[in-house]
Amino acid sequence: MLAGAVLLGLLDRPLGLNLLDPMRGVLVFALLGLGLNVVTGFTGLLHLGMAAFMAIGAYAFAISTCDIYPFQIGFWPALGVTAVAGALAGFLLGAPTLGLRGDYLAIVTLGFGEIVQDVMKNLDAITKGTQGINPLPAPSLPVVGEFGTDERPWYWLFLALLVLAVKLCRNLERSRTGRAWLAVREDQLAASCMGITPIPVKMYAFATGAALAALAGGLWASLYQSTGEPGNYDFQISILALCIVIVGGMGSIDGVLVGALTMIGVANIALPKLASWLQAQGIVNPSNVLGSPNNWKYLVFGVVLMVMMRVRPDGLLPARLERAGGGS
Amino acid sequence: MNTRILSSLLSLALAPLALAGGTLKVVSSLPRTGSANAQTTSMVNGIKMAIDEVGGQVDGFKIEYEDMDDASPQRGNWDPAVEAQNANKAVRDESVIGYIGTYNSGASKISMPILNKAGLVMISPGNTYPGLTKPGMGEANEPRIYRPSGKINYFRVVPTDDLQGRVAAEWAKELGCKSVYLLDDRELYGKGIADVFEKRAKELGLKVLGREGIDPKASNYKALANKIKASGAELVYFGGTTQTNAGQIAKDLRSAGVEAKYMVPDGCFEEAFILAAGADSLEGRTYITFGGLPANQLTGRGAKFREAYTARYKVEPEAYALYGYEAGRVLLDALKRAKEKTRAGVLDAVRATKDFDGALGTWSFDENGDTTSRIMSGQTVEGGKFQFVKVLGQ
Amino acid sequence: MRAIQHLSALAPLALAAFAHADAGSDAGAGVLGQQLVTGLSNGMIIALIAIGYTMVYGIIELINFAHGDLCTLGSFMALTVAGALGMEMWSGVGGLTGVILLLVTAATFCAALNWSIDRAVYRPLRSAPKLTLLVSAIGCSFVLVNLSLFWGGLPMQVFGGGVAAAAPKDFPALVSDNSLLPDAWRLNFTSSDLMVWSVTLPLMVALTVLVRSTRLGKAMRAVAQNPTAASLMGINVDRVIGATFVIGGALGGFASVIYALYNNTISFQMGYRTGMDAFTAAVLGGIGSMPGAVVGGLLIGVARALSDGYIEARWTNSVVFAILIATLVFRPSGLLGAKLRDKV
Repeated sequence: MLAGAVLLGLLDRPLGLNLLDPMRGVLVFALLGLGLNVVTGFTGLLHLGMAAFMAIGAYAFAISTCDIYPFQIGFWPALGVTAVAGALAGFLLGAPTLGLRGDYLAIVTLGFGEIVQDVMKNLDAITKGTQGINPLPAPSLPVVGEFGTDERPWYWLFLALLVLAVKLCRNLERSRTGRAWLAVREDQLAASCMGITPIPVKMYAFATGAALAALAGGLWASLYQSTGEPGNYDFQISILALCIVIVGGMGSIDGVLVGALTMIGVANIALPKLASWLQAQGIVNPSNVLGSPNNWKYLVFGVVLMVMMRVRPDGLLPARLERAGGGS
Repeated sequence: MNTRILSSLLSLALAPLALAGGTLKVVSSLPRTGSANAQTTSMVNGIKMAIDEVGGQVDGFKIEYEDMDDASPQRGNWDPAVEAQNANKAVRDESVIGYIGTYNSGASKISMPILNKAGLVMISPGNTYPGLTKPGMGEANEPRIYRPSGKINYFRVVPTDDLQGRVAAEWAKELGCKSVYLLDDRELYGKGIADVFEKRAKELGLKVLGREGIDPKASNYKALANKIKASGAELVYFGGTTQTNAGQIAKDLRSAGVEAKYMVPDGCFEEAFILAAGADSLEGRTYITFGGLPANQLTGRGAKFREAYTARYKVEPEAYALYGYEAGRVLLDALKRAKEKTRAGVLDAVRATKDFDGALGTWSFDENGDTTSRIMSGQTVEGGKFQFVKVLGQ
Repeated sequence: MRAIQHLSALAPLALAAFAHADAGSDAGAGVLGQQLVTGLSNGMIIALIAIGYTMVYGIIELINFAHGDLCTLGSFMALTVAGALGMEMWSGVGGLTGVILLLVTAATFCAALNWSIDRAVYRPLRSAPKLTLLVSAIGCSFVLVNLSLFWGGLPMQVFGGGVAAAAPKDFPALVSDNSLLPDAWRLNFTSSDLMVWSVTLPLMVALTVLVRSTRLGKAMRAVAQNPTAASLMGINVDRVIGATFVIGGALGGFASVIYALYNNTISFQMGYRTGMDAFTAAVLGGIGSMPGAVVGGLLIGVARALSDGYIEARWTNSVVFAILIATLVFRPSGLLGAKLRDKV
């Protein structure tokens, strides 16, 4: 998987593919997916508010770096701030609510996402409301200097960070905590009989997931040098994150990567290219709602999701761990 | 597994390779997926009219046009990733000499620096956030941050919120209103224009009885209408668009028995607004401001445009069709004047645009890249149609 | 009644309302009464949709993300029928006939569509993991949204000739907005309010009877309890689930018509907020509990109205979700949800 990404990075220019630009988005969403995978995939908690943590990350990054605020701590320290802010927000949400069962927790996370939206939009004095915050600094490295319009350094940096996150997730999965997550997911009662206290274990998962999502938000904002509008972090993004994890294969790290490639690949690479190709062929009749390829995007996206779930109900690359049988 | 996905992506990527030679490209980046598509259709129609008017070629160069979508299905709205992708794609394609976009000012904040570094001219038919061009109107660092090269490459044919919000408040006073209730859709355009309205209204001595930000996705605003009724306001100003539910608000005000006048900005100056609100809810009480003259009041160039547009698309050109047409024409006009048909040549020519004989009147680009046209018009709704009332702010 | 007891969750909001409304004065009390009427009417529509969520959830544990968008299609169907028959001209008894005709058409259409979706999309995934089903429902929601968009481009007068497919559509006001109460009351209770209440309340009663006392209702409860055991007792589980989708869809159809008649605007994206409100209502009331969905819906409708009226509209979504979170912290299974132990 990652070898493929490295290969793409090397071959993109020589072959004139121009895929690195949209691929950066895929990498960011893979990071977001990894975060959700810790919560939903490993620990089995349905989470419908990942966008909120992405927003918190983006805004934490923005406020600590943008020149209209007094902090301006630069890209690298800001990434640290971003992750910490995400983890804190995760704790804050988790502390009162992690006792809730299954889908009750899901709607609480959904509600949290909506509340964060309102806060970002309404607290003008801090978040600049609907304007968004810009410009945000690009990363800079010794040798390479500050990143600019060339997408290659961005791609490699994001890929490297993603590899680190993958490594982290793999280690976590195998650690004592990680095994506790899986145990809680498979059977909370049995897990607590084995001496695992579910709430702190879930809390840890929540905070880790939130930190990764926030990191994704920080990178996203840095990539576009703007937080964009608060509306960019709405429920649809949380849903997208969920689709990435489930389509890839719940609890499978490789699955998340494939899931991100598929989902963002379809929506942001394949569909625009297809629309542009159809337009070049002249197969477009904008006066009719059916004649414009862009009007079909929701449909194609939805059908892709349904077909994928039908063909591979356990995801494209399911986790290798045996699913516990029975017990609905 | 991953090789299969990769190879399918590869084939998609290679498909649209086209040869450039004697061909120059104009691209637009406007929201095509989701609710703003209606405006985009108008703008694109206008751009196409401008291109066809010159016979699809300028000085022997064939003009190709691509209508790019800056929205994505998972967002249903403009998507920063897609807008950045569009800008990067345009920059990479050497034959692109002009970028028409965006509709949402937030999207321009993302593509402006990218296009600026590449020296590619950008003309917006829809952005009204003042900070994009005017120093001192937005944040302290605006608009410098959108011009990393130090040169101006961004222009717009639409008057900004600070102008339109201002004349709207003045018109409200002229109409004899003493108190207003302000609503906005909590988006960049709607909130910005309502802020300007509020400031000006206070200066003019109008009493601002309340200010609310709505949820554009809510099913109705009946509770708000009840509240507005109790406030006794004489005018309700909504900073927002048809898409952010201006029609529903009109209905709920009426059914709650609010007798106040209802004023909205140019984001509602389209047939779809009347269709959404139902003519009855608007009749005789609705006031719409617009940064230009409506199509049926145009003379000269504009009248010809209206005639051709109506013949071709079987509908009256709407506000955004005019803006789109104007953006397309000013770009092609500059291309014609440009000594060298390169990005730099076109950029210089656009910047030098002076006393341009456009559909929106005769205007120039000022030192910030804004149109010098100050013509604003006010209309109302009568008999289910927009009815021009007067020129505003003169 | 427990339901009424739990309306006390609204107490803080109501207090804020009274404080602002200056309830001592006639005018203030009038406005408050008006907001309550508005809130209850909105709440009933939400409740009707919420029942669709809660029924499906109760029986196959699926948060049916496509349900709100199903209602959107129902509204588009209703507008098509209204347009084709020229209903905006019907008045008096004709108007009433028109409304009944729309209710029946939309309910039949949504019931059939919901059943087909279950048959084609969800049934093959019965043994798949729960979240697989959820993602299919999300996919389905995207497809339905797109179909509504296409529908909006239908070249009919009521769709504005189909030129601007994505624009919101006006729905003819078949039910008037004139108040039925004497002017002196300073309270508008309009024909559309009456329509909402008089469609919703009987439906809720009928549904309760259906679930409590009929064979089908018993079978539904059995399948919800334990599908395997139910099938061992000779219940055709797929049939019962299908029936649930039919009933949920029909309710969605009814809701889509009263939504359209009450708000007079429909758009292809309207399923988003309504769906989310209804889903929230279902959870607030206790997922799987039908009276819970009703209480939840009314609560949310009233909370929205009071928040719009007495706090600030821009915080309304936050207020609703804050109430939800606070409620769940103290009552983890919703207001009327069964206090389930974690399944062993």
